[in-house]
Amino acid sequence: MKWLALAGLLVLPLAVHSNFVLTIFVFSFILGMMAVSFNLIFGFTGQLSMFHAAAFGISAYITYLTVNWLHVSFWVGLLPALATVAIVSVLVGSICFKFKLKAFYFAIVTLAFSELARLVIMNWNSVTNGTLGLMVLDKPTVGLPGLGTLTINGTVAWYFFSLAGLVLTVAVCTLVLRSWIGRCFAAIRLDEDLAQTLGIDIFRYKLLSFLIANLLAALAGSMYGFYTGYIEPAYLGINQSLDIIAMVLLGGRGSVTGPIVGAFVLTGLPHLIDLSGEARAMLYGAILILTILLLPRGLVGTFASLRRAA
Amino acid sequence: MLLEIQNLTRRFGGLVAVSDVSFRIGEHEILGIFGPNGSGKTTLLNLISGIMRPTSGRILWKSRDIQGWRPDRVAAVGVVKTFQNPKLFLELTVRENAAIASHLMLRHQLGTRRIAELLPWCASRRHPDVDARLDRVLALCRLDGMSDQLAAGLSYGQEKMLGVAMAMMCEPELLLLDEPASGLGDAEIANLEAVLADLRAMRTTLCIIDHKVDFLRRTADRALALQQGVKIAEGTPDEVLHNPRVIEAYLGRPHARA
Repeated sequence: MKWLALAGLLVLPLAVHSNFVLTIFVFSFILGMMAVSFNLIFGFTGQLSMFHAAAFGISAYITYLTVNWLHVSFWVGLLPALATVAIVSVLVGSICFKFKLKAFYFAIVTLAFSELARLVIMNWNSVTNGTLGLMVLDKPTVGLPGLGTLTINGTVAWYFFSLAGLVLTVAVCTLVLRSWIGRCFAAIRLDEDLAQTLGIDIFRYKLLSFLIANLLAALAGSMYGFYTGYIEPAYLGINQSLDIIAMVLLGGRGSVTGPIVGAFVLTGLPHLIDLSGEARAMLYGAILILTILLLPRGLVGTFASLRRAA
Repeated sequence: MLLEIQNLTRRFGGLVAVSDVSFRIGEHEILGIFGPNGSGKTTLLNLISGIMRPTSGRILWKSRDIQGWRPDRVAAVGVVKTFQNPKLFLELTVRENAAIASHLMLRHQLGTRRIAELLPWCASRRHPDVDARLDRVLALCRLDGMSDQLAAGLSYGQEKMLGVAMAMMCEPELLLLDEPASGLGDAEIANLEAVLADLRAMRTTLCIIDHKVDFLRRTADRALALQQGVKIAEGTPDEVLHNPRVIEAYLGRPHARA
């Protein structure tokens, strides 16, 4: 099923030439990376992190600033961004997990750190251009065997580039969750005290989950910034976090790929029915409430159980 | 000496739950700890397993002070505890519960080589040793017929046995059993005793607390009794049970004189 979907996505640009439709796919892919990685810490490890948007935004800014200052490629710019996100994640995660913050306390404290990062970026005018944001004119380049160096420019190139990012994200999450690490995450989600008496170092594995999730969000953030050509403090805003939570809840927490469905619905729907910002926010809210009330297992989870029942 | 407890004390505000308790557990021994409800038995096990920190005193595991260690570190050196009211991963199957409990076994066997599990082409994600032990432990705990059943659907007695199975998957050198017989019917107690006999045959060191006198007398090699956090007797189970202070603690003063 998954491989079929991937094959379909790979040939889709051959059939669909509409830039409008492909653009929705690109946004869905990049936000899908966010949703899939957020699901690692939220759905699989059970920690409601509000730091995901911060990792996304911090990485976008640092990648762009490095590229702009040092005139290096996107990939070289990505390195200090990932390194910074890794360091910040370990710091924030260590503080939260050392103090054994759980559930809403963890959410509030990570939100506070996220807001802290947003306010620093918003007020550091000389570097970040404050609320006006930064224009990104550079484009990533990719060296492909046989094809030489390609510049990722135009919707079709971005379609494949962002699809590759999504596949990478899904692959990393799948491999992690299939290993012993995934069992530790599940144990922590289901019962921390029991996990600890079985010898699982809950501090270490929570931190690992937080770190991997944030690094994948960082990759998504840098790609998003270079795709849209514009980076602003709202990248780190609470709305961004809420959108991602909505995608995961709608798609379903139980599977790696479920959140991608959520990302598609919540990215595509508002564009397809052409809504204003306010109406879009209301649609999000309504979908979120209805999902929690009617489909606690999300679209994918509900579909899977219907199929099993049939 | 495997475990040595020296002058262990735990206060909760004005209440002294465990007061200046000292004892030892030797290798392959089964120690029973008696005591009426509220005598500090569970607190004592929680102190040893790192779930609570003692107010004072020392806990020596193979001459090494493990007092104040986190529960996962205590479990990692081989001291594993079960819970009186079994704690399980209810959404998972019996086998999945036991598989999660194989964490320490894999860590001890593979160490950093577990990283290889992350490689997409890694074929050795299945661990035959772990699978074999899973089968053995589930059979030992009479759970082999219900591997794929959800833990939420087990009876109370089966839940307790799964708790023991999960602790066994940690390859404990010392297994601390917190009231394994409480709440069980006669048939389930007979089953538990058969499991404990198997554990004895496997030369696992056990420390069992319970207030079921007959059960402990049949099971333990050596016993000690607690009352209001204080150790009041130590010796063979029969010696302890005939100790006037123990009889008084259980039945009241008139019976102790008789």
